[in-house]
Amino acid sequence: MTLRLSIPWRDARAPVLLRRHGSGGSKALPAAAAGSSRRSGKARRREEAGLKRANFGDGPGLPTLLLLPQLLILLFFFFIPSLRALMQSVLLSDPFGNNVQFVWFDNFKALLASSDYRQSIAVTFWFTVAQNVLTLGSALVLAFATDRIVRGRSAYRTIILLPYAIAPAIAGILWAFLFNPAVGPLAQVLHSFGIAWDPNLNPTDALILVTLAASWKHICYDYIFLVVGLLAVPVSLMEAAAVDGAGPIRRFVSIALPMLGPTIFFLTVMNFIYGFFETFAIIDAVTKGGPAGATNILVYKVFVDGFVNLDLGSSAAQSVLLMSFALICTLLQFRYFDRKVNYGV
Amino acid sequence: MSRKVAFIAALFGALALAGPAQARVEVQWWHAMSGVLGDRLNELVEKFNASQDKYTVVAVAKGNYDEVTNGVIAAYRAKRPPEMVQIAERGYMTMLLSGAIVPVQDLVEQKGYKIDFSDFIKPVASFWSYKGRMSAMPFNSSTPIFWYNKDHFQKAGFDKPAETWQELEKQLYAIKSKGISECGTVLPGDFYWSLLENYSAINNQPYGTLANGFDGLGTEFVYNKTKVVSQVARLKKWLDDGVMQIAGQGFSPEQLFTSGRCSTFVNSTASHGNIERNATISWSATFLPHESDINPPLNSTIGGGAIWVMKGHTPERYEAVAAFLDFVAQPDTQVWWHGATGYVPATNRAYALARERGYYKDHPTREIAVLQLSRGTPNENSRGFRFGNFVQTMLAQRQEVEAVFAGQKQPQQAMDDAVKRGNEILRQFEKLNAGKTPETERP
Repeated sequence: MTLRLSIPWRDARAPVLLRRHGSGGSKALPAAAAGSSRRSGKARRREEAGLKRANFGDGPGLPTLLLLPQLLILLFFFFIPSLRALMQSVLLSDPFGNNVQFVWFDNFKALLASSDYRQSIAVTFWFTVAQNVLTLGSALVLAFATDRIVRGRSAYRTIILLPYAIAPAIAGILWAFLFNPAVGPLAQVLHSFGIAWDPNLNPTDALILVTLAASWKHICYDYIFLVVGLLAVPVSLMEAAAVDGAGPIRRFVSIALPMLGPTIFFLTVMNFIYGFFETFAIIDAVTKGGPAGATNILVYKVFVDGFVNLDLGSSAAQSVLLMSFALICTLLQFRYFDRKVNYGV
Repeated sequence: MSRKVAFIAALFGALALAGPAQARVEVQWWHAMSGVLGDRLNELVEKFNASQDKYTVVAVAKGNYDEVTNGVIAAYRAKRPPEMVQIAERGYMTMLLSGAIVPVQDLVEQKGYKIDFSDFIKPVASFWSYKGRMSAMPFNSSTPIFWYNKDHFQKAGFDKPAETWQELEKQLYAIKSKGISECGTVLPGDFYWSLLENYSAINNQPYGTLANGFDGLGTEFVYNKTKVVSQVARLKKWLDDGVMQIAGQGFSPEQLFTSGRCSTFVNSTASHGNIERNATISWSATFLPHESDINPPLNSTIGGGAIWVMKGHTPERYEAVAAFLDFVAQPDTQVWWHGATGYVPATNRAYALARERGYYKDHPTREIAVLQLSRGTPNENSRGFRFGNFVQTMLAQRQEVEAVFAGQKQPQQAMDDAVKRGNEILRQFEKLNAGKTPETERP
């Protein structure tokens, strides 16, 4: 359930953040203003007085109408399911719903007492952090590299963006096969170096494998934002630095990177959300949460307990907790990092 | 405009007239069979539909067993369940106590069909019946058997696999040390079913208290005090010594056997279809091994699925369902299904018919499962398993066994933990179904 819930929330957030940097915002505002300025002189006057009010014309009618589709989507795919998850989380029920008992917070208590769940939290933590670092790091390197290339730049970009078009389940099976210790070609390479690679047996190997697969799938997402971010770095600054004798790496680290701050911050939040919610299909295809629960991240556990074990109460309680984790995580990031990010150009 | 309306009205009129003449009652059957098995199932349904002109069964593949279960739950909650659904053996208690089903024996008798339910092979009948009455129609019943590569055994100087685990271990180590194959055996994906649960039945080890749950919902797991612990230790040893391999995700264990890479494979008799089609090796099969100090070994238990009938449909649809279930139980259908798939014939009469027709002369390995299921008299330890939330307890157990394989836990510790976790899950099921506690039931 949470899987579905997260998507509208994420999409709702993305444009807000986007508008704060880059060119998306400056394009959107005049367009909206032009639309409303045709309506009345009063509105135009307001527009001149203050951008925000003028954009929406008179009264709450138009904004409400414009927001309605999004609100409806949120209602049906976020608020109603969330409410049902909240209700289900305090119930003990058979899957068919014929036998339902109200058990207060027993599902939560049982979860917090279970070592299995604590392991899942730890796994999720390491998985999302590693995935975040790896994804952002690789995307930065790639963005930096393609920014410097002149010939065939678009070809490189297309190639780097390709993984995004591959369905997560397919990507997962690909990785599982490549690194399968019995038949996988890359596993054979590792073996020939004397590394006893076996993700079916070794929990650490399995966690490394899913982290790699999940990062690989998401690098392109980070990459496209970073490329656009780099384009927004004023050429004059770079040239000035070059004249002063700064090399390409120095220019990247001292000028481009700080100016990418808002983008990197936004991507960090998105990567966490991706790690929390959207890596489910990769886990399912690569390890099924094993071995010994080593890759049983929270969202996968929600799925297994709900849809395989048919333990709906526990599954709902887990999705409520997972939702709160994600919310707290995002709020903390905004509270502590947002201030340090420089939005000015 | 008006001409169009008239035309549509005429069309509907024609449909209404034509309707009753060919009205066949249509019922849905959601199932989990894919690949070769899915094709055979569709053939079976076509046979039924062609055998009469009153009813049409529509078979709908809904993915694997988990997906079928979720599908039927969602459909039931939306008040649109299919008439019939195929559910795996592990879901028995969930379905039985769901309040969403009609017991098949009640339905079939009410509709006037005479199926001899006492003729079903014992472990099959006892698994699917409650208080002596069949709750679901046994459909695809299987049991694990021992598949082996004939060439590998001959090269190592053995006629066939040994009957006991102790002797078999020596053979597998010999095959490995002589360099005949890379691995002696491959860990089956459902090893908990074949190598722990069926192992317990065959070797007369209790799995849970209260006759493995047959005597009530208060049952608790006890396999941490039985030979299961040493069985897990044995598998770990084989794994460490390279005698056993894990195929892992992205690759099916069966392929490691059919390609000739691993010499043996414990798997369901239902893989006959696939192995016959895919194997590039000369293979055969035999009974599962038993412990040397357990003699004679008991029967194995079944796996697979049964057809459940869902509540909430009209009497004429139930007519169709009963007719179809009667068709499924016919010895002719059973023999055909047995031959087409490798699943066991569910009734003694069907088995006798298959023998009579000389089927096993050409297909000797197809008889192993039947013989293994029906040997001796089933006792408390071998009649089957009746645990609620059996999928959930199994996954917890599998996780603990994987911890042994990964070297994180000792077998005893892991099985203690598995039992502890399993018992918590069983208590949850008991709490949910309090008041519906089945009384002692003995077939």
